[in-house]
Amino acid sequence: MSSVSVADVAAAPRAARLSARQALVVGVAGALLVAAVAASLTLGAVHIPLSRVIDALLGHAEAGPLRQIVLDLRLPRTVEAMAVGAALGVAGALLQGALANPLASPDVIGVTGGAGFGAILILLVFPSSIALLPAGALLFGLVAAALVFVVAWAGPNPGGITRLILAGIAISALFSAAMSALMAWRPDRVPSAIFFLVGGLTTSGWSQLEVVWPYLAAGFALALVLVRPLDRLALGDDVAASLGVRPRTIRLGAGVAAALLAASAAAIAGLVAFVGLFVPHVVRLASRSAGNWFVVPVSALCGALLLLAGDTLARTVLAPIELPVGPLMVVLGVPVFLWLLRRAT
Amino acid sequence: MILSARDVQVEIASTPILHGADLHVAAGELVAVVGPNGAGKSTLARAVAGLQRLAGGSVHWGEEDLADLRPRRLAHLRAFVPQRPSVPAGVTVRDAVRIGRSPHVGPLQRMTRGDHDAVARAITRAGADGFEERMLTTLSGGELQRVQIAVALAQEAPALIADEPTSHLDLGAAAGVARLLRGLADEGLAVVLVVHDLALAAAVADRVVVMAAGRTVADGPAHDVLHAERIAEVWHVDAALERDADGRTALRVGWLNPTVSSLDMTPRKDLVSP
Repeated sequence: MSSVSVADVAAAPRAARLSARQALVVGVAGALLVAAVAASLTLGAVHIPLSRVIDALLGHAEAGPLRQIVLDLRLPRTVEAMAVGAALGVAGALLQGALANPLASPDVIGVTGGAGFGAILILLVFPSSIALLPAGALLFGLVAAALVFVVAWAGPNPGGITRLILAGIAISALFSAAMSALMAWRPDRVPSAIFFLVGGLTTSGWSQLEVVWPYLAAGFALALVLVRPLDRLALGDDVAASLGVRPRTIRLGAGVAAALLAASAAAIAGLVAFVGLFVPHVVRLASRSAGNWFVVPVSALCGALLLLAGDTLARTVLAPIELPVGPLMVVLGVPVFLWLLRRAT
Repeated sequence: MILSARDVQVEIASTPILHGADLHVAAGELVAVVGPNGAGKSTLARAVAGLQRLAGGSVHWGEEDLADLRPRRLAHLRAFVPQRPSVPAGVTVRDAVRIGRSPHVGPLQRMTRGDHDAVARAITRAGADGFEERMLTTLSGGELQRVQIAVALAQEAPALIADEPTSHLDLGAAAGVARLLRGLADEGLAVVLVVHDLALAAAVADRVVVMAAGRTVADGPAHDVLHAERIAEVWHVDAALERDADGRTALRVGWLNPTVSSLDMTPRKDLVSP
């Protein structure tokens, strides 16, 4: 071809666009999420047809038990599941991107250990104040992360990756030990804490989201701001610094966002394991891309899908028994993960 | 002068590394920085690039003092090619070179048509066209070095600092990088090349800066500063630099000839070459 047409010029890459594979991942995950929302709102002890659900959501349904079930029970739980899944997916993707470490997850910045301690403290020591459980988990999750950041950013070479990870492991160990000590001290009350420790959602209306939504919103907003700067760290801190990017500031911002998101998720759903580690890897392996501009938002989508589908399954397969969604998702997720891992180049 | 660095001193973890180093580079000039391992070549390159805090001395880029320059502004004045770059998985050559364009793109902005054109120009100029869509992890050492230079060229800064870009390359790839850097200087870029190979330095550089024990000890055309006495003094090796009429350079090394005791690392002024 000797000439370049106007159309060729117009089609020149204007901005990073989705590859066919990336578009497929977004399309499939989006469609499945819509289906999971429909399933979550219609399925349960009472089956409510989709048309009645839509009427209720649009405010057309007359007052009655069906409308109440949809709006006061199933809708909050659906929103909670998506919020928790999205928060954990984004937290994991941010940390893996910021620390350039595929093993990073909210555990490494101490959030899981801190939130676990906060919840166990309320459940075992102040069982009469159980309403404070989300606040306690959130508070101690953030305190643990703050301690990790203070240790990692004090002294020479502040914000180095190895120092951050080691500080996270040490602070996590401290809070886990405190949690174990509380459990050994009041073993009679431990059964009340099991549900929190394994991770799961409850049907409790909007009360938990009312406590944590500002932290969730702040975490998501910060994540959104950091997506492009994070991609500029890919060639190493020297290249990033020479380009005028501040690697340590970006890393701290990503850590704070991940801490807000993971602590909020723990406040709502307990210690849901594995999602934060697993979802970003699934997104990378399925889309064969590593750019944070793609992995972070799509991890939100896939995290929301995974947790909502898992929760709907958990409360319907053996109804009226509710399985805890945390372990169920791990059981369902690990085979998918291993299959993708085997196909990875 | 695009770069004027005077009496640069650097301490790392309270240990003095640079005691007083000078470096001056004009537009269109290629300056090679040579010296033994541990002499402070890379530290000097990083210090003038703004990646290492100064303990003393001054660095000016054009009229602007490095101490007053914001990182983003500095990124418009000089590009830096590090010695050991990260090679992340899942990143294509084009993605990497786009990162080099980031000083021109705000934190929340998208790249414009002009930015994409600059990325394409940098890829072509560095000789990385033909493998733009390949993953960094699949490239050879020579290809990777061209990509690193393309990342720097995408900045469109008037100066480029390359820290040992040829250290791990075979002869052909090293010559390719040498020709590329010489060509960039001929086009008007100010180029600082940190390099171990004295024959390569003599062939490409307008001036050679010799470093020893944290100081710059000589600065001038290669044949003036890299004479046998200085090589014996700085590297403790009996060697002579030669250049023929076709521009071929060679370092003739008396590998086994004694110069100074290997235990006595202090440079000896009294040595005379055979």
